[in-house]
Amino acid sequence: MSSQQSSGLMGWIDARFPLTKMMREHLSEYYAPKNFNFWYFFGSLALLVLVIQILSGIFLTMHYKPDAELAFASVEHIMRDVNWGWLIRYMHSTGASFFFIVVYLHMFRGLMYGSFKNPRELIWLFGMFIYVALMAEAFMGYLLPWGNMSYWGAQVIINLFNTVPFIGEGLSEWIRGDFVISDATLNRFFSLHVIAVPLALIGLIVGHILALHEVGSNNPDGVEIKKTKGADGIPLDGIPFHPYYTVKDILGAVVFLAFFAFVIFFMPEMNGYFLEHANFDPANPLNTPDHIAPIWYFTPFYTVLRAIPDPFLGFLMMALAIVVLFFLPWIDRNPIRSIRYRSALFKINLIIFAITFIILGYLGLKPVTDLFSQLALRFTEIYFLFFFILWAYSKPRSGGFWIGSFIVLLAGVTLYDVLMNSSETPEYIWYTWAIPAVYLFITLLLPKFTNLDAEKQVPERVTS
Amino acid sequence: MKIVNISLFVLFASLLISAPAWSAGGGGQDLNLGKVKVQLNNTASLQRGAKYFVNYCLSCHPAKHSRYKRVADDLNIREDLMIENLIFTGQKFGDLMTVAMKREDAKAWFLGVDPPDLSTHVRAIGSQAVYNFLMSFYVDETRPFGVNNLHLNNTAMPHVLADLQGLQRAEFHIAPDSHGVEHKKFDKFELIQPGKLSEKEYKQVVIDLVNFLAYLSEPAQLVRKKIGTGVLFFLALLGILAYFLKKNYWQDVH
Repeated sequence: MSSQQSSGLMGWIDARFPLTKMMREHLSEYYAPKNFNFWYFFGSLALLVLVIQILSGIFLTMHYKPDAELAFASVEHIMRDVNWGWLIRYMHSTGASFFFIVVYLHMFRGLMYGSFKNPRELIWLFGMFIYVALMAEAFMGYLLPWGNMSYWGAQVIINLFNTVPFIGEGLSEWIRGDFVISDATLNRFFSLHVIAVPLALIGLIVGHILALHEVGSNNPDGVEIKKTKGADGIPLDGIPFHPYYTVKDILGAVVFLAFFAFVIFFMPEMNGYFLEHANFDPANPLNTPDHIAPIWYFTPFYTVLRAIPDPFLGFLMMALAIVVLFFLPWIDRNPIRSIRYRSALFKINLIIFAITFIILGYLGLKPVTDLFSQLALRFTEIYFLFFFILWAYSKPRSGGFWIGSFIVLLAGVTLYDVLMNSSETPEYIWYTWAIPAVYLFITLLLPKFTNLDAEKQVPERVTS
Repeated sequence: MKIVNISLFVLFASLLISAPAWSAGGGGQDLNLGKVKVQLNNTASLQRGAKYFVNYCLSCHPAKHSRYKRVADDLNIREDLMIENLIFTGQKFGDLMTVAMKREDAKAWFLGVDPPDLSTHVRAIGSQAVYNFLMSFYVDETRPFGVNNLHLNNTAMPHVLADLQGLQRAEFHIAPDSHGVEHKKFDKFELIQPGKLSEKEYKQVVIDLVNFLAYLSEPAQLVRKKIGTGVLFFLALLGILAYFLKKNYWQDVH
């Protein structure tokens, strides 16, 4: 090994297990760029929430009963009769929402600084699989309290599989294990929620971190710190993860826990968006809640589903909205990683995308109205167009490319309106048509007629 | 760049966090019966609420996730007083607050509706709904129990508090809405048969019940904010320490 041969207990262990070696490789001699900013807290915070979820989940499992007759009462038993049960339950329910807040911000960080680009494509792919596993985990966990919204939410989502041609009915029956959501469904969701998906999640997270430590972390400048090394072979702009980032992440964790504790102790229901009101009534197949909305972190994709009138096509588009994210490293091929040195138009495009995602999420929480379904369609269009624009901004393009794409895409949007879009209030179609039209105008015509597509020189070394 | 960064984050995070607030309003017609504010620190009101609850509600509505002992402990009611005055079913002090009535019987009596469990249902509908419901029974001879309800039209529940409130008549007028469709609009109530209590006293009974039911739907409320304040205070101190620890370690990073 090295000159620092340890003795005593550590020496005994090190002769049999690479403990010191692993600690060096992943902590004390893992060199991270020194210029991480605020956005770089969310990776370690995601790990913190995972630990919170696993620990609180272990204690919930001790008292919860996965039985359609007993599940609802066992959750209330935890809330009332188990010592500190209410705290453990609120940690778990609030933790689910905070997991998604942290993960969405973590993913957005990746988009801003191009962290998915060569050589970090595999980190991104592991991350996307983690995200999908997390959605499955959250969805199955949401059925377990066996409240009325658990029941009807699961009903709506599992019925999506009915739309698959030929095998749909059989597929959703196979998922439920019954003709309706029932005890069989609850039991298998419990099994998947407490063991199968968490195992997969932990494996994927190990892969995510190993891949990260193999290539090294990106940073807000998008500069490869390994290119500039000192005489000792250590990157000049790198600092050991431990102790520098461990002490920094402790500070981040404390601030995060303050927000987390505030929700747990002062507003655990978060106005019905972390714990939905209708879920305080037990599951009742004869009593549909007035308004079924999925929990907030699924609603952007739920809106995409509802924006397309044809059920199977809507289902495919919803799936595509997630699948397209996997391909990000091969869509955005611009060699400049960081938003700091990319064009003003790239920044505008990314901000529009973030706003679009939030609007889609909002629309998914609301009942469908004429206006809202038109808006859902328009922002779904922008959601997908974003990826085309991202690809278009990968390299300099000719004037013909910009004008040609503008005409083709706008014609595509308009053709959809003419052929498939209908509304009880036809004016809405043409008012909202302006949304993708303006978006395409900004992103595709401004590069031709302005210099907003000018990119900046990327420095050799990190800046701060 | 830092400013862009921070403002982007604030935009993103605040939108995420405020999303619930956008849709918090709405629901139900405004009956102008007043807003009810739950007072969980008013133990006397909670105790009176418990008394009304076991006398007027618990014969049909169970609170099957709650135990008598827990209620007695939380509301400072002595065990012997609780057993003597508030447990009518011969149940034990540590038992769940169930009702003796069979669910099938309840359904048969109340027009096919099983009276919902009040230890959780109130959390689903909210305290304001309970208040509006209990304040807005009015005489309607067309209904099986002779009363109807403004908050929950054609309710299956009789006006069990009628001996306290008396009976009131509701006055309506017919008015067209913006689409020209005519609707019955509520004007005001008029007491036609006084009960044992004055209007003000009855309102207090309802408030006591609302308070108690709010407590019953989540007993942890009595302690959760107090503990939370302590936790936040601890985290603030820890945050200060963590800040200086970080600052100290980072002084050699240039």
